[in-house]
Amino acid sequence: MTGAQAILKSLIKHGADRVFGYPGGAIMPLYDALLDSPVRHFLCRHEQGAAFAAIGYARATNKVGVCIATSGPGATNLLTSLADAKLDSVPLVVITGQVARTSMGSDAFQEVDVLGLSLSICKHSMQVMEPADLQPVLNRAFAIAKEGRPGPVLVDIPKDIQQGFVPEDVPEQPAEQPLPQAKDTAIHAANHLLEQSQRPVVYIGGGVSMANAVPQLRDFLNRTGLPQVSTLKGLGSAENHHSHYLGMLGMHGLAAANLAVQEADLLLIIGARLDDRVTGKLEEFAPQAKIIHVDIDPAEIHKRRHADVSILGDLQQILPALDCHSQKSSWLERVEKLKQRKAFSYAAHQAGEDIDAPSLLRSLSDLSEEDAIVSCDVGQHQMWVAQHMQFSHPTRHLSSGGLGTMGFGLPAAIGAQVAEPDKQVMAVCGDGSFMMNVQELGTLRRYQMPVKILILDNQRLGMVKQWQELFHDERYSETDLSDNPPFSQLAQAFGIASCEITDAAEVPAALKTMLEHPGPYLLHVRLDHKANVWPIVPPNTANHKMWEQAR
Amino acid sequence: MTYDLELFLSDQPAALERVLQTTRYRGFKISQLQMHNSGAGLQLSMQVSGPQPINILTTQLHKLYDLASLNIEQTLPQTA
Repeated sequence: MTGAQAILKSLIKHGADRVFGYPGGAIMPLYDALLDSPVRHFLCRHEQGAAFAAIGYARATNKVGVCIATSGPGATNLLTSLADAKLDSVPLVVITGQVARTSMGSDAFQEVDVLGLSLSICKHSMQVMEPADLQPVLNRAFAIAKEGRPGPVLVDIPKDIQQGFVPEDVPEQPAEQPLPQAKDTAIHAANHLLEQSQRPVVYIGGGVSMANAVPQLRDFLNRTGLPQVSTLKGLGSAENHHSHYLGMLGMHGLAAANLAVQEADLLLIIGARLDDRVTGKLEEFAPQAKIIHVDIDPAEIHKRRHADVSILGDLQQILPALDCHSQKSSWLERVEKLKQRKAFSYAAHQAGEDIDAPSLLRSLSDLSEEDAIVSCDVGQHQMWVAQHMQFSHPTRHLSSGGLGTMGFGLPAAIGAQVAEPDKQVMAVCGDGSFMMNVQELGTLRRYQMPVKILILDNQRLGMVKQWQELFHDERYSETDLSDNPPFSQLAQAFGIASCEITDAAEVPAALKTMLEHPGPYLLHVRLDHKANVWPIVPPNTANHKMWEQAR
Repeated sequence: MTYDLELFLSDQPAALERVLQTTRYRGFKISQLQMHNSGAGLQLSMQVSGPQPINILTTQLHKLYDLASLNIEQTLPQTA
């Protein structure tokens, strides 16, 4: 068996029967072997797109995503996606070809030290230097990618190892790292704080989904009825219709969510890391609240704020052990009033009016299937999606949270559609972000995946423009994108059906047409460039001092 | 504060780089460093200083897959 054949055998063994990538010189033996393998490869049009597709696949399924690239530029093109996966804790195994061992270290053609480049943006990285190590290294890579707090693992494989003979895999399986066991004393202490608190709030992060603990979370929330807020990555974990669910908190969080957190006397933080986009001015974040922090990663405890009680371990075991019986009637009334008073109102789609992005997205959310998957790019549209669309599960909302990577949306949607071929998959993009991985329209065309692309085009790099308007005295520096191509025509050049709308009255029919179209479709929505995202918490400001409208 | 750390690492490519990179990124400066390969692995002694609590660094070092053990030997007041 050659090294290339062994790699493919290993992928099958680990359930990775669908992978994404782009061929090149140092990975050619693997691509040659692919022709005779049951592994299905999806050719993207850029290595960054391939890795984002693998991220979309992983985030839609909570399985390990796999992508493949060649050495040198193929490997360096992956780096942004690896950093994205690291910051959002996405399980990936990334295979790069490397020049032959005899050429390594000689500045050979397309040689780059990808092992060194990857160190700070991967959970772990390995280079295979002996044929006998190949399969054990791949076994370890899959184990590391998914155990504990998930993350990307890079495996760099010289070309001669792919070409040469490798021994059969040894039957011994790598021992998985045991999850830390939550201490009973910590559980008791947490339950005591919950009972004693007058104004508790549950703060839900992306860790809930990655622990496959959404059912346990929902059970806990239904048992206790406690008020709930969510991070960007946690959206879809709580039930949207729960009367005490207040939505996203943070810089563009919903007003009721931010106010409730600021008034709370106890925060139960579950699978979240107190990101700066969530806390606003840290010293004034939830100033009266004690903290219970539940996570799988010890490094997150006390990192940004001291925890009064910390519980390390598996959320599937911890959440059933948490409880709260004491009545919080006056607090729940306060929360319900906040929710009612601060609820968004949506415009009817009236003829002759500009298209209102929040209203359009709410309509899209209402019209789409309940378990539709929405992927988005980064910027104003991303925040509108988070504020105004509803998700049945966190695996239905794919958004680049930690790294905030423009260009994420379309390739991640492609990966999600590969994972869930029968589900409705949409990419909501900004005009700036869409152009960053526009080449993936070629991937859509090749595989005729029915991904629906919605471009919210304000002809600006919108979020940067918003900050220039609000915090830089309206000094607009390099944020005018009005010379972007006509996206509808661009889609048609790729053989993708499309439509452009400019008037609010066109919204309902255009959304219906898009959703009912059997293949890929692009809807280009022209917006007024003056529209901004509200609320916004200005930099270095406490969340309760958010601006809810233009001043 | 200044801290003396004793680390034992598996002898893998980039094991030392990972420790150095993690230390720098988490805001600590290295003032002394000694390393030798014992045959069983890499024995590393490192004196670091930084404004943050040392657990900000050690919890990250514990996540390195090449790290077999980590001990904080002593804590000294920072000298001028």
